[in-house]
Amino acid sequence: MTRKPVDIGVPDRLYMVTGGRSEADNSLDLVTLIVSECEPTAGMQSEHTRILDLCRHPTALVEVSAELKLPITVVRILLGDLIDMGKVSARHPRAAGSVAALPETALLQEVLHGLRNL
Amino acid sequence: MPVTARPRQRRSARGTRSPGVFPWAVVVVTAAGAAAAVALAPHNARAWVAGTVIVAWVCVVVVAGTASARLGRALRRAESRGEELETTKAHWMRHGAETDQLVTTTLPAVVRQVKSGTGPGEALSGLPTPSDPYLRRLLHVFATEMAESARETAEARSELERTRAEMGQWTAQLDHVTKETLPAAVTLLREGSSAETVLAKLDWPAHPLLRGPGESFVRELAYSERRSAAAQAASAKALSRVQAKIVSMLAELRDLQERHGAEVFGDLLRLDHATSQLGLMTDRLALLMGGRSSRVWNKPIVMESILRGAVGRIAAYRRVRLHNSSKGAIAGFAAEGVMHLLAELMDNAANFSPPIDEVHVYVEERSAGLVVTIEDSGLKMSDAAMRRAEESVSGRTTDLASLQGTRLGLGVVGRLAAKYGISVNYRPSSRGGTGVVVLLPPQLVAQQREPVTVEPPRPSAELPRPAAVAPAAEAVPAAGPGPVVPAGPRAVVPAEVMARTDDPRADDPRADDPRVRSAATPNGLPVRAPGRTMAEAERTRPKAAPERTGREPGAAGPARDAGSRFGAFHRGRQSGSAAVDGASGGVPGGPEAVPGTDE
Repeated sequence: MTRKPVDIGVPDRLYMVTGGRSEADNSLDLVTLIVSECEPTAGMQSEHTRILDLCRHPTALVEVSAELKLPITVVRILLGDLIDMGKVSARHPRAAGSVAALPETALLQEVLHGLRNL
Repeated sequence: MPVTARPRQRRSARGTRSPGVFPWAVVVVTAAGAAAAVALAPHNARAWVAGTVIVAWVCVVVVAGTASARLGRALRRAESRGEELETTKAHWMRHGAETDQLVTTTLPAVVRQVKSGTGPGEALSGLPTPSDPYLRRLLHVFATEMAESARETAEARSELERTRAEMGQWTAQLDHVTKETLPAAVTLLREGSSAETVLAKLDWPAHPLLRGPGESFVRELAYSERRSAAAQAASAKALSRVQAKIVSMLAELRDLQERHGAEVFGDLLRLDHATSQLGLMTDRLALLMGGRSSRVWNKPIVMESILRGAVGRIAAYRRVRLHNSSKGAIAGFAAEGVMHLLAELMDNAANFSPPIDEVHVYVEERSAGLVVTIEDSGLKMSDAAMRRAEESVSGRTTDLASLQGTRLGLGVVGRLAAKYGISVNYRPSSRGGTGVVVLLPPQLVAQQREPVTVEPPRPSAELPRPAAVAPAAEAVPAAGPGPVVPAGPRAVVPAEVMARTDDPRADDPRADDPRVRSAATPNGLPVRAPGRTMAEAERTRPKAAPERTGREPGAAGPARDAGSRFGAFHRGRQSGSAAVDGASGGVPGGPEAVPGTDE
C-alpha cells in the first residue's frame, strides 16, 4: 500500500468560517485600518479572537488577511460581523480621495531614474 | 362328560335290583291270593274256583317270567353300555390330561429349550410324547416353527445390533464434524485460508456420505469468502482513488477560493461544500469496506476545527450550532476518525429532526476526557430504535451483514468508536428529541498549547531575552531531535507541551527557541519534520530567528493572494529597516524593531 500523503492544513472549510455566507461587506477597503475595541472572550470563534488580538494596534485589512491566511472576502465577512457586534471599528484611509495630491507620474519616473543612477 | 355320566349310572344301578324281585313277588302274592280264594270259596264251587284260580295263576307266572327275562336282558345290555361309557370316559380323561400337560408343561418347555438354542428334535426327545398322533404332529410342527422363528429373531437382533453400532459411529462422526471440524473450518476460512489448506489441516470423516457435504461446504464457503474479500478489497481500492481525488479537489478549491475574488466566491463555497459531503460519503464507504480515511493529520487538531470539520461535511451544516469553549485538541492520528464520527452523528441528528430546528453541539472538558453532546429536537426515538442505534454504535458487531439498507452511518460510527475507544451513548434529549453523548477518552486528547500569536510580543517582554538564550541553548541536547523527528504525530504533542510548561517564560514567544534551534542540524541546515513545509522549517532555523515576530506564522505557505503578498512585502521591508535600526515606531513595525537591536 502506498503511503498516504499527510495533510498539513486545517480541516476547516471556508464556508464553515463564514457560516455559509459568501457576500462580503464591500465598504471595507483593502487598506482600511481595523482596531479592536475589546478583549476576546471565551467561546468566540477563533478567527474573531485572532482578529481582536491582532488589531490591538490599527492593522490594515489586507494585513489581517495575510496573518490569518484567509482570503480577503472571508476576512471582510468576519470583520463585518465584528463591526456589527461593535467589537472592532474601521478607519477608512484618510487619503482615499486625495489621489490628485500625489506628485506627477513624470516626476516620480525622474526620481526613479535618479535613484537607479546612484 | 364324566360329570354327565354319573346320574345315569346311579339310576341304572337302582333299576338292576328292583325289577328282578318284583315279578316273583307278584307270583307269590297272587299264589297266596289264589289259595285264599280257594279256601274261602263255597264247597260246591271249590273245584271250579280252584281250576280258574290255577289257570289265572299260571297266566300270571307266565307273564312274570316273560317280564323277568326281558328285564334281565335289558339290564345286561345296559351294563355293557355302561362299561363302554366308562372306557370312553377314561380315554377322554387321559386325552384331556395329555392336552393339559402339553399345554402347561411340554409346550413351554419346548419354547424354553428352543429359545436357548436346542434343535427341535433334541428338544422333543427329552420330553414326554403325547399318545395322540394329532397332538404329536402338532407338537412337532410347533417345535419346528418355533425353532425357525427363534433363529429368525436371533438374526434380526444381531442385524439390529450391528445397525445400531453403525448408527452410533455415524452419529459420533457427525457430531464431531458439526461441533468441531466445521466451526474450525469456518474460522480458518474467515482468516483467509484456502479451501485446500482447510481440508488438509482438519480431520474429516472417512465416510463419503459425510465427507462429501463437508468438502463442498468448505469449498462453497471459501469461494464466498474469497468473493466478499475480493469485492471489499476492490471497493476499498477504488474508493481510495476517489478519496485521493476528493482531497485534491478540496485543495484545489481552497486554492481557487484564495485566488479568485468575491464574484465566484459563493459558487466556490457551494462546490466546496458539495465536495466535502462527497468526501464524507466516500469515507463512510471506504471505512465500511475496510479502507482508511481519506486524510491523516500530522498534528493535533483543536476542538473548534474538529467540530467545524465535522459540521462542514453534512448537508444541513447551517442548522448546527456549536457551543465550544474548549481549548483541547485531538491527537492527529485520531482527528480524522473523530471528525468522521461526529459528522455521522450530526448528520443523523440533522436528518431526523425537522428542517427548521437546530442541532446543538456542546463540548465539555471532563477528567474522563472530552464530552461532546449532540442534541436535536426531532421526534423522540422509540425504545426499539434507540436500542438498535445503541447496538450499532457500540461497535460490537462489525460484520457487514449487520448493515441494514442505506443506514450505513451508524455502522461506521460503531467501527470508529471501537477503533479509538470512544464511547457513544444515546439518551432522550431535554429539548424533546434525542441526544448523543460522545466521550473522547484522554488518550485521544492532546492539550493544545496557547497559540503563540495570542500575545503579541512587547518590547518589555523581549528584554530578558539574552538571558533566556543560554538555558534555551542548553536545552537543545535535552530536547534533542525528539520533537523534530517524532515517531508519530502523537509524540509531538507531549514533547512540545513539556517544553512549553517547563519553561517559566511560557508567555514569551521566544521560548519557542529550543524547538526552533533543534529544528536545524549543527551545521545550520534546516531539518524538515515529516509533513512540515520546507518554508516552515527554513523559518525555524536559528538564522531566521531574528525575523520571527509574533505574527510569524502568517508567512507560512505560498503567498498567493494579494493579502499574503502584501504581508510578505511588509515583512521584508520591516526586516530591512530593522537592519538599519529604522524602526520608526510604525505601529505594526514596533515589535519587529527589537529583534533588529538584538542582532
